[in-house]
Amino acid sequence: MTATATRPDPAPAAAAQPPARRLPGSADTRRRIGVWLIVLVLLYLVGVPLYRLQELAMADGGAGYSRMLDNPDFTRLVLRTVYLAVGSVVVAMVLGTLLAYAASRLPPRAGILRTVPILPIVLPAIAAVVGWAFLLSPGPGYLNAAMRKLPWWSDLDTGPVNVYSMPWIVLITGFGLTSFVYLFVSAGLANISVDHLEAAQVAGSSGAGVFFRVVLPLLRPSLIYGAGVALLLGLGQFTAPLLLGTKEGIRVLTSEMYFATASSPIDFAKAAALGSPLLVFGVLIVLAQKLGIGDQRRFVTHGGKGAVRRQRPARWAVVVIAVYGLVAVVLPLAGLVAVALSPYWSSTLDPSTFTLDNFRTVLDNPAIIESVTTSLLASVAAVAVVLPLGYVAAIVLLGDRFRVARALLDFLVALPLGVPAVIFGAGFLLTYTKEPFVLYGSTWVIVLVYATLMVPFATRMMMNGMLALGTSYQEASWVSGAGRLVTHARIMLPLLRGSIGGAVALMFVLLTHEFSASMLVRSPTTQVMGTIVYDFWSNGSYPTVAAVSLLMTLVTGAGVGLAMTLGGRDVLSKL
Amino acid sequence: MADVTISALSKRFGGSDSEAVIDDLDLHIQEGELLVLLGASGCGKTTTLRCLAGLESPSEGTISFGDRVVYDASRRVDVPAEKRNVGMVFQSYALWPHMTVRKNIGYPLKVRRNKEGLRDGWVEKAAAMVDCSHLLDRYPGQLSGGQQQRVALARGIVSRPDLMLFDEPLSNLDAQLRELVRTELHALHRQMGFTAVFVTHDQDEALALGDRMAILRGGRVEQCAAPRTVFEDPASDYVAEFIGMADTVRLTRSDTVWSHAGGTTATLDIPRGHDAVDVRIRPDDVQVRAGGAPARPGELVVEAVVTDVVYGGRHVDATMTVEGGSPLRARVPVGAAEAVVAPGERVGVAFPADKVRVFDGVTGQAVARTEQPARVSA
Repeated sequence: MTATATRPDPAPAAAAQPPARRLPGSADTRRRIGVWLIVLVLLYLVGVPLYRLQELAMADGGAGYSRMLDNPDFTRLVLRTVYLAVGSVVVAMVLGTLLAYAASRLPPRAGILRTVPILPIVLPAIAAVVGWAFLLSPGPGYLNAAMRKLPWWSDLDTGPVNVYSMPWIVLITGFGLTSFVYLFVSAGLANISVDHLEAAQVAGSSGAGVFFRVVLPLLRPSLIYGAGVALLLGLGQFTAPLLLGTKEGIRVLTSEMYFATASSPIDFAKAAALGSPLLVFGVLIVLAQKLGIGDQRRFVTHGGKGAVRRQRPARWAVVVIAVYGLVAVVLPLAGLVAVALSPYWSSTLDPSTFTLDNFRTVLDNPAIIESVTTSLLASVAAVAVVLPLGYVAAIVLLGDRFRVARALLDFLVALPLGVPAVIFGAGFLLTYTKEPFVLYGSTWVIVLVYATLMVPFATRMMMNGMLALGTSYQEASWVSGAGRLVTHARIMLPLLRGSIGGAVALMFVLLTHEFSASMLVRSPTTQVMGTIVYDFWSNGSYPTVAAVSLLMTLVTGAGVGLAMTLGGRDVLSKL
Repeated sequence: MADVTISALSKRFGGSDSEAVIDDLDLHIQEGELLVLLGASGCGKTTTLRCLAGLESPSEGTISFGDRVVYDASRRVDVPAEKRNVGMVFQSYALWPHMTVRKNIGYPLKVRRNKEGLRDGWVEKAAAMVDCSHLLDRYPGQLSGGQQQRVALARGIVSRPDLMLFDEPLSNLDAQLRELVRTELHALHRQMGFTAVFVTHDQDEALALGDRMAILRGGRVEQCAAPRTVFEDPASDYVAEFIGMADTVRLTRSDTVWSHAGGTTATLDIPRGHDAVDVRIRPDDVQVRAGGAPARPGELVVEAVVTDVVYGGRHVDATMTVEGGSPLRARVPVGAAEAVVAPGERVGVAFPADKVRVFDGVTGQAVARTEQPARVSA
């Protein structure tokens, strides 16, 4: 090839092009309008229900608040809520930190065990709670019955454990929160170089010494952050207090709020007022977190993975995680299976009577089948709504323009994580039972509340995907002459398909067993799986409860399998 | 192809009172020229490149490609990257992993709807030019670092852009490969004659590739000239240090006599108007002798003590301390002065007059060579 042949021709097209300008009406303005449109959509989804709650609580000169305060038990209600939150956080912090450290020392072949501590998030909470009740209910609880066989408890007729009591509600809630602490602490551990730990060992520290003198102090930021998140979640806990506390009249703010909307005398204003303390606390925490952590892009430097050298594997780590998995996951599921296979729930377990009748009953019950369909449809629709929203929100949040819109968006996107789902449910109930959109009784209100609850997850997972990709792939496309839309269609979406697939599957999992918000927005004719389980529980149809719970768990399991296929084995830790 | 004019360009990442990353920058890149932007990290070289690409919006100034204005702050013109008709090679290559090499290279033609290029096989031509024809149906993940770099280069040049931009494209390659690709890039530029801006922090790369090189410091051009000029006649103390004149001696004047804080005095032919000067030299140009030896005509001798000697194969590197001055380094051929260059020895470090460059002690600007000492005596 000669120089003259390869010397490129001058590009006449480029020279003749008039300069494109950034003027009003051009792409820039369109982009600005688009960004504000997203902010407005989210403001409507997230903000209006919360605003409606306050409006109602304040109506008639704060009648809702005065009725709430008139209750002589109000102080005890608040104290019990705090007790539940703090107690379960303590359980979760101890277990979560221990499990995270154990997971970091698992032998490579036992790597799959790292997923075990996350399972309680993806298992339906209601199934776990019901499973525990089947095991530890004072009368017919299987474990209680077994313990009464022991000589020192042989004189008891019930117990020794009463799962319908505050300490057990705290403990079972703590198991659920453990997963969250585990996720935060694991992330923190990943940032500690093994060199620090080996240096301590070489300097003469024992294994436990390394843990207490080096690991824990280095983990302090993750521990504080994890404790904050767990506290927030603990205050908003609803499932265990509702299912286990009701029998003995143990109520917390969330369940009291639910009863104010569901049993007579129905008092929406009081329900709204009851939500306020948690709402305010949630908003404050989100604000504090935004101000404290600030710019998400600061964390880009953590992206580099490199060769991760792991600490020496330890056998005790396998034991710790296996025992935890056995207690927190396998035991309650075993309780469910036992009751689901028995004709009725009694303290004696007789395998010879095992039958599949309960499953047949479930499959023959049109209301249950409909609730399954509704759950699946609402989850799929909500994911379809929230995914594009999260994608666009992630683009805006990772950009460096539109400061005001970005700050607002950042706050709105985080809010559904800070404010308990029950409160969102109440807000949606109050917003969509009146003009302009009367959606109560239809699947649509469920879709909307589900989409809103998933906004933080969708956005965060899209942001993580984009951060991991970095900016140069899109910049290379722009410089090659492709516009924004073409770049998203041809470069970003194909490259993000793993993240998107993982996000879809995970949100699907979280939504199919959503319980708290569903309890408030459901109507007698529009039920989802979780709410119908509660109804059968209240009626005492325990074998049906067990069978439906298992069905939920199966749906979830399929979703988790899909998530891990699409998003990789560690997809669960991206929550 | 076009020439590129940058004038009065500024870029601040914060508000209008924040520190400028690019500070009132003027540069002209001639048609077909390869200009290297060289500087320490944070000097604004990559930001300048990204402003040229349209990936970063400057705060003030203008940029034009030929007579086409692509950025003008006062007229609110800012042509987006996709409409600028540039090609760019990224430090990380940024080859899209979900596309084959052929699709990667063809992408600029496809999204610009360049029918001529697609019809006439520009993709294959570009691949042939960088010796990658046999890789067209592979995916980027199946290529080695050097191959990826070549494909990225082909993608940059395939649509025959007005301007090629290189953002430290060789820094992720290992040393041997870097030299090879550098040579190939030089040949490719000779062959195609594209206008290009090449960002690097490696002075060897800059010397080898640039038709001219601009040394940036704090967002301003410290010197912009042909590599040989920069190497031989650095315009300022900063440039001199940056391109390897590591040894420096500060001289202050009292009347006609220049003296060094360590005690050496010398007579230098430097015009009045300079009260203090920094004399600079490369470590391989100094001569180390036993202490106390008298200075020969045409050199400056500084008394020093050797603190450390590092063996380097064909040479040894000696570090020496000077009383009242910054430490000096000398690179001495093995066998030449081993008796003298030993830790703890008192030595005389001689600066031959034709090898030193002199800079004003206050402004850091070079003192013109004609003003430099024709005769130095201790």
